[in-house]
Amino acid sequence: MTTEEYDTEMDYSDSDCGDPGYEDYYNVHPWDGEGDNDIDNDQSRRDPEYAVYDCLRIEEVERLLNEDVESLSNSLHITPSLAKVLLHAHNWALQDIIAKYRTNASSLFINSKIKPLPPLDSLSGLKSQRSGLCSVCVAIQSAEKFSTLTCGHSFCKDCWCMHFEVQISQGISTGISCMAQDCNVLAPEDFVLSLLTKPNMRERYQQFAFCDYVKSHPQLRFCPGPNCQMIMRSKEQRAKRVMCSSCKTCDLIRNCNNFSFRCGIDYHAPTDCNTMKKWLTKCADDSETANYISAHTKDCPKCHICIEKNGGCNHMQCYNCKYDFCWMCLGDWKAHGSEYYVCSRYKENPNIAHESVLAQAREALKKYLHYYERWENHSKSLKLEEQTLEAIKMQINKKVMNYSGTWIDWQHLFAAASLLTRCRYTLQYTYPYAYYMEPGPRKELFEYQQAQLEAEIEDLSWKIEHAETTNRGDLENQMDIAEKRRVTLLKDFLEV
Amino acid sequence: MAATRRLQKELGDLRASAMKNFTNIQVDESNILTWQGLILPDNPPYNKGAFRIEINFPAEYPFKPPRINFKTKIYHPNVDEKGQVCLPIISAENWKPATKTDQVVQALIALVNDPEPEHPLRADLAEEFLKDRKKFLKNAEEFTKKHAEKRRESSSSNE
Repeated sequence: MTTEEYDTEMDYSDSDCGDPGYEDYYNVHPWDGEGDNDIDNDQSRRDPEYAVYDCLRIEEVERLLNEDVESLSNSLHITPSLAKVLLHAHNWALQDIIAKYRTNASSLFINSKIKPLPPLDSLSGLKSQRSGLCSVCVAIQSAEKFSTLTCGHSFCKDCWCMHFEVQISQGISTGISCMAQDCNVLAPEDFVLSLLTKPNMRERYQQFAFCDYVKSHPQLRFCPGPNCQMIMRSKEQRAKRVMCSSCKTCDLIRNCNNFSFRCGIDYHAPTDCNTMKKWLTKCADDSETANYISAHTKDCPKCHICIEKNGGCNHMQCYNCKYDFCWMCLGDWKAHGSEYYVCSRYKENPNIAHESVLAQAREALKKYLHYYERWENHSKSLKLEEQTLEAIKMQINKKVMNYSGTWIDWQHLFAAASLLTRCRYTLQYTYPYAYYMEPGPRKELFEYQQAQLEAEIEDLSWKIEHAETTNRGDLENQMDIAEKRRVTLLKDFLEV
Repeated sequence: MAATRRLQKELGDLRASAMKNFTNIQVDESNILTWQGLILPDNPPYNKGAFRIEINFPAEYPFKPPRINFKTKIYHPNVDEKGQVCLPIISAENWKPATKTDQVVQALIALVNDPEPEHPLRADLAEEFLKDRKKFLKNAEEFTKKHAEKRRESSSSNE
C-alpha cells in the first residue's frame, strides 16, 4: 500500500464524525507515521505483504468483463452470450480459448456444454415438435410456440420460462441446462433472456450470472466485508493482503477488510490458504472442548481472586494484590524478560513415542489447546483493542475540547493503535502456522521470532492502554520495534 | 395446472405399460400429487418380497423433482430407518423436467438391486456390506422376510 493511494482516496464523504472534512484529512495516514522510516516505493516492494490491486465497483467490473466478451465474440465470430459461456467455462482465459478453438473448435464447444455430445442420441424433442406435443407439460402447441437449444431438444416456450424461473429461484443462473434427461447443454444468456418474461426474474438472473462470472475469474474477488459491494482485482498469484477501500472508510481498523486474495477468507499471513482451511475446520470441530476447558476468567496466581480479562494486553496486574503476571501462562511477568517470552512456546514432550495411546491423545489435545487458546486469545484481544481505540478517540476529543493540545498532537496514539492491530493480527495467524509445523530447527526459529513479536506487542499494548503516563518517544520507539519484528517474521516465513 | 395434466398422462402410460417390477400403483382421487406402489427387485436378498414406496410430487412438478419414501422397512445401505432414500436422478441439482416417473422408479429399483456403499445413508450397513457380505445377505434376507409384503407371483395386477 503506497501513500499516494491514500491521497487519491479522498472522495469518500460519509464519515461518521460530524466534521467530515478534517476527519478525512487526519485519518488518511493511519500507520505511516513512523517518522524516522523513509517510506518509498522500494520499501513497499521489500514488504513481503505488498501486492498490486484495484478496488472496483460493480459497473467497472462489468465493463472489464464485457471487454473480454466482446473481444472473444469478435475473434471467433460468435454471439456475446456464447462468448460468455466459453469464458465462464475456462475461467476467463481468453487466449486459451482462442488457442483451443484453432486446434479443435467442435471439441471446445462440446466441452464447454455449448454443443451436445456427437451422437444425437434421441431425437424425441424434434419428434415432439413435429407432433406439436411438449413432453414436459404434455400439451399440444403450435410449432412457433417451441424453442430449442443446439441439442435439438424442443420444448414449449412456457415450459422453458417456468424451468428458468424455478432454477433462478434456487440461485442457479449460468448453470441452467436443457430440460431433457441426460442432456448437459447449457442455456446461454440470450436464450434465457429471450424467454424470461418477469422483469424481477430477469434482474435476478443477471445478478446471479454476474456473481458467477466474478467467482470464476481468477483475478477478481468479492470483498468479504459484510454488505460490501466492492470487487478486488489483482494479478497476484500468491496469497497477499488487500484492503477494501470502501469498507475501510466505515471503520479504519476493521480486520474483515484485510483478506487473502487467493481464498477469500480473512487475511492470514504467514499461514497458507490450505493450512488455514484445515485449521478453521479443526477449530469448528474442537471448539466445544476448547471452550469447555478454557473458561473466560482466570484466578490470580497469587491471591486467587477471580479476574476477567477486559483489555487486550496479556500483561495483567491483579487489582487486589497488585501482582504482575502473564494472562497466558499465569507466570510472573518479570520472568518473561524482554527477549525470551517463554509463553508462546509449546514444549513438546520428547518421550511421547514411548507413552500409551491415551497419553498420546491427551498430548495431542494439549498441543491443540495450547495453539487454539493463544489463537482465540489474540482474536479476543483484537476485539478488546478495538474498544480501546474507541476510548482513545473519546479521550482525544475531550483533550482537544479542553485545549490541552490539538488534534494533531494526539495522532500518534491512533497510529499506535492501528499498528498494534496489524501486529496482533499477524501474531494471531502465526498460531495455526506453528501448529502444523514439523518439529525442528525451523520451527524453533519460527517460535523464537513469534515469541519476540509477542513480547513487543504486549509491551506496546500495555503502553497504549497506559498512554496517559507513557512518553511519546517511548511509544513510537516501541511501535517501530514491533513492526520490524512483524516484517522480519513475515519475510522469513511468508513463502506461499 | 401443468402438474395435474402431466401426472395424469404419466399415470395412464404407466398403467397401460404394466411394468413387471412396479405394480399396485394407487393414487388418491382427490390428490394426484401422492402415489403409492410396490417395487419388486430382482436381485437377492430383496427378490423375495415387495416393497411399498410413496412418491410425492411438488406443486411445481415437473420443474421440481418428486420425492420418494419407502413405506416398507428395508435393510439397505442407501435407505435410512425413516425410509428416505438418496437418488441422484431426483436431486435438485440433477433434476430434468423431461424425466419421467418410470425412469425415476427404474433408477430406484436399480439402486435397490445394486447398493452403492460409497455414499450410504446407513454407514453401519454399508460397512457390513463391504466387509462381511455373507452376514449382510443373511441379515437382509431375514429382514425382508419379516417386514416386506408378500409377492403375488403370477397375478401381478396393475390396479
